[in-house]
Amino acid sequence: MKVSLVKVALASSIIASSALAHFQMVYTPNTALTKGGTIEFKHVFTHPFADEHTMDMAGVEEFYSITEKKGKQDLKKTLKPISWKGKHNSGKAYESKYKARNMGDHVLVMVPTPYYEKGEDIYIQQITKTVINVAGTPNGWDNELGLKAEIVPLTKPYSIWEGSSFTGIVKSNGKVVPFAEIEVEYINTTPDMKNNAMGPNKYEAPQDSFVTMGIKANKDGEFTFAIPKAGFWGFCALGAGSDKEYKGKELSQDAVIWVEAKEMK
Amino acid sequence: MFKNILIGLLIASSSAFAHSAIMSCFDEGDGSVTCEGGFSDGSSASGVKFYIEQDGKKVISGKMNEDSEFNFKKPNGTYSAVFDAGEGHQVSISGKDITE
Repeated sequence: MKVSLVKVALASSIIASSALAHFQMVYTPNTALTKGGTIEFKHVFTHPFADEHTMDMAGVEEFYSITEKKGKQDLKKTLKPISWKGKHNSGKAYESKYKARNMGDHVLVMVPTPYYEKGEDIYIQQITKTVINVAGTPNGWDNELGLKAEIVPLTKPYSIWEGSSFTGIVKSNGKVVPFAEIEVEYINTTPDMKNNAMGPNKYEAPQDSFVTMGIKANKDGEFTFAIPKAGFWGFCALGAGSDKEYKGKELSQDAVIWVEAKEMK
Repeated sequence: MFKNILIGLLIASSSAFAHSAIMSCFDEGDGSVTCEGGFSDGSSASGVKFYIEQDGKKVISGKMNEDSEFNFKKPNGTYSAVFDAGEGHQVSISGKDITE
């Protein structure tokens, strides 16, 4: 009896924590490149702080880059399926190679196929933005793309010192989302690009509210978060998108943006 | 009069320091190289001087085009590509660091 109670408690705590904290990663180890070249991305749907479960991505609807000189370039064909190994399981993911040649900003956007989350009986679709820069000239990192769910950065996502901050505005089809609910998570490891795996966790959370931090935007959809450590920080505006249903079920259409803070050394 | 000059100088010097010159070059893979110039504030480098130096001599010189780019035939031997946006705003990239 005692044992089964523990089991129930354990099961419900797993469900509770997995209900939060999904993050679509569009990850490359360095977003501030000193010169142009071909870079690699890993597209993984996971819980980047705790790494307790890697989800199977359901597919990709769109993947493209936007640059000042070349405009929008479709990159969907560059995606290759891989298996990504988390601490406890492996999940279906993708990798891609991108020729970041032109100087300046390259905004990468991925729209995944909605993922069915059994625990909540809903679909989740995280429209994800990762911005990389070549050589340091800015030209487009701050553009508003008019996505169904979008975090428009007011801070260059690739040019943040450890200990400084990131400010963004949550939007949906160009309109601000007042008091948007935002989850913040840290990639609590150095992803192993060669072996498609997560490494050991770097930091421990003193309590569950530090694993996935919940913050809120103000009445203008704007939020600021101080970045305590170097590395990758993901911001996810929950249900900010205009699509609310998928295959007859509730859809949480979220906006994700990744920012990278660099250590001062 | 003197005050005006002083203000003028101050403005000039602050705008010169506020944005640094930046250049990035890549090998086109067809025997030519393209260099892109720019500034840290995102302003255009169109019309800014650019040259190729070999053994201390300018072997090619011109200006960045309307896209802030300069394309040139890759010279034989060692060379440097120089983006020359005025004193203190020169960026030099060695040919051996320019890859595809």
